[in-house]
Amino acid sequence: MKNYLIRVNGNEYEVEVEEISKSSGEKKSIVKQTVAPKQEVKKPAQKIETKKEETKKVVDVPQGAESIDAPMPGTVLSIDVNEGDEVKAGQVLLILEAMKMENEILSPRDGKVAAIHTTKGTSVSTGDKLVSIE
Amino acid sequence: MDNKLEKLVKAKEKIRLGGGEKRIEKQHERGKHTARERIDMLLDEGSFVEIDAFVKHRCNNFGMESVETPGEGVVTGYGTVDGRLIFVYAQDFTVLGGSLGEMHAEKICKVQEMAIKMGAPIVGFNDSGGARIQEGVDALSGYGKIFYRNTKASGVIPQITAIMGPSAGGAVYSPAITDFIFMVEKTSMMFITGPQVIKTVTGEEVSQEELGGAMTHNRTSGVAHFVDNSEEECIERIKKLLSFLPSNNLEEPPYVETEDDINRIEDRLNEIVPENPNKPYDMKEIITIIADDNDFFEVQPYFAQNIITGYIRINGKTVGVIGNQPKVLAGCLDINASDKAGRFIRTCDAYNIPLLNLVDVPGFLPGTEQEYGGIIRHGAKMLYAYSEATVPKVTVIIRKAYGGAYIAMCNKELGADQVFAWPNAEIAVMGPDGAANIIFKHDIKESEDTMETRAEKIEEYRHTVANPYIAASRGYVDDVIVPSTTRQRLASAFDMLQSKRETNPAKKHGNIPL
Repeated sequence: MKNYLIRVNGNEYEVEVEEISKSSGEKKSIVKQTVAPKQEVKKPAQKIETKKEETKKVVDVPQGAESIDAPMPGTVLSIDVNEGDEVKAGQVLLILEAMKMENEILSPRDGKVAAIHTTKGTSVSTGDKLVSIE
Repeated sequence: MDNKLEKLVKAKEKIRLGGGEKRIEKQHERGKHTARERIDMLLDEGSFVEIDAFVKHRCNNFGMESVETPGEGVVTGYGTVDGRLIFVYAQDFTVLGGSLGEMHAEKICKVQEMAIKMGAPIVGFNDSGGARIQEGVDALSGYGKIFYRNTKASGVIPQITAIMGPSAGGAVYSPAITDFIFMVEKTSMMFITGPQVIKTVTGEEVSQEELGGAMTHNRTSGVAHFVDNSEEECIERIKKLLSFLPSNNLEEPPYVETEDDINRIEDRLNEIVPENPNKPYDMKEIITIIADDNDFFEVQPYFAQNIITGYIRINGKTVGVIGNQPKVLAGCLDINASDKAGRFIRTCDAYNIPLLNLVDVPGFLPGTEQEYGGIIRHGAKMLYAYSEATVPKVTVIIRKAYGGAYIAMCNKELGADQVFAWPNAEIAVMGPDGAANIIFKHDIKESEDTMETRAEKIEEYRHTVANPYIAASRGYVDDVIVPSTTRQRLASAFDMLQSKRETNPAKKHGNIPL
């Protein structure tokens, strides 16, 4: 006897399947039990929710913009630009204090500050998005 | 007789054209030069002597018996760069896509062997579609022979590879074994498996450029050492690199006369390091100021920028510089920085190039990523490489020198022949904040105002311990020097060390943690 879970249009059905051996002769109905659709509607809904969260994170960086990530864990000491500012390649965007050093986070290219993802005093870890440049 | 002469001239003319004018034109359209044009750009005018021009393949499979391959898809020979003997091979993409077969490989092997025998550098221009499939295992055998000779030549003669087109699959390993890899923007490509294979196997979609382009290997993977916008600039850079290197491991690097005063006093050095130890500055400025004619030739400028490697001359002689860069990752040592520096130190030691170490290091970069990535194993490479190196080693402690990272940047015990410190150097087992918390734990705990006591104790520690004088009083630092006199002191130290003779115990080879 094997149990299967079958999903149809988001509804889940639990099904028991039994293999009929030739010797048994007796014909049994293969489907022994049918369970009314398990109300698993919640599950897919949850999934959509998490998906939304993921996309929300991506949306953080405006389309066509490049995000500048924290190179190491530290604290944002100051933010030297505002959203909408024109910046030049090599210009200081913010200061990240890490390893007892006021690390200057520089703009990798000429562009405009599309968004600022952090605030002064925030602790960030490696890879956290700091600023987006478009 | 005339007939035979004519035949020879004709045959040579045909070989010179490689895959023919149409394919040469196509090569030019791609913004690439032909094998012979590249060799001409590298070598002194008229100095190129070709060998093995008449070599032919021996393949009889898949209709190859009727296929002609003028020059076998690779041009080999020797010539001079700045008057010094150089061996060279250049794969010819116009002949069967520069594909590597048995005899193609034999031609390369021959110049490799000649280069080793004569003790002269070898420069290879790679531009090949890969193995010549028709030749099957014979092609693979060819690759194996080249790798083997690359390894035998390693540490004997400088080996330089310029990737001038595709280099895929097994072909990447010859360059990887050589000392330096040059790449050109847009036309150079290196990968083990191409984008199509990756897509079928893992489903990842990635462009050729993104996967194995010049910037990928210069910035991300650290496979390549240099990147240029054009083949011309790339070849100029190869020539400049050669000017810093000796012809082989028994010779000294070339001496280049300079009018730059070795006693040049630079007041800028007295003010370059900010008062506040938490403020960054650019270590490259210090290197440039110290160098003859302010000329600094950086190696791997885009990879692991928290450590700087490159060549300068002091008093006309090549010096390999390793410096922490406080501007990037606070100058911490991490996996990539250790790898980069470890390899550079060994390259210098192999070719008798003295080492200058400029130290401003707060420690090793903390984090799970680093620990899981094996920072212990990688960091050990620096300690090993410095300890093993028998060339003159001079260390200047510019500012921070803390803990294990201080040792890893070649302190006295790893064999630094001279250690200088600038007056604002902080040489200690750990930073004042951390140290005060441990040493004065009880004082801080039992005080009325813990915050104030902590600040006091940190200051006390900084004042009494975080300076160069304790290390100097033990002889770990030979002298505390005025920063502005650094060039003068280095010139004197390297001059004194010229006759240094040190040998490691006899052994098959050491066992560097890889």
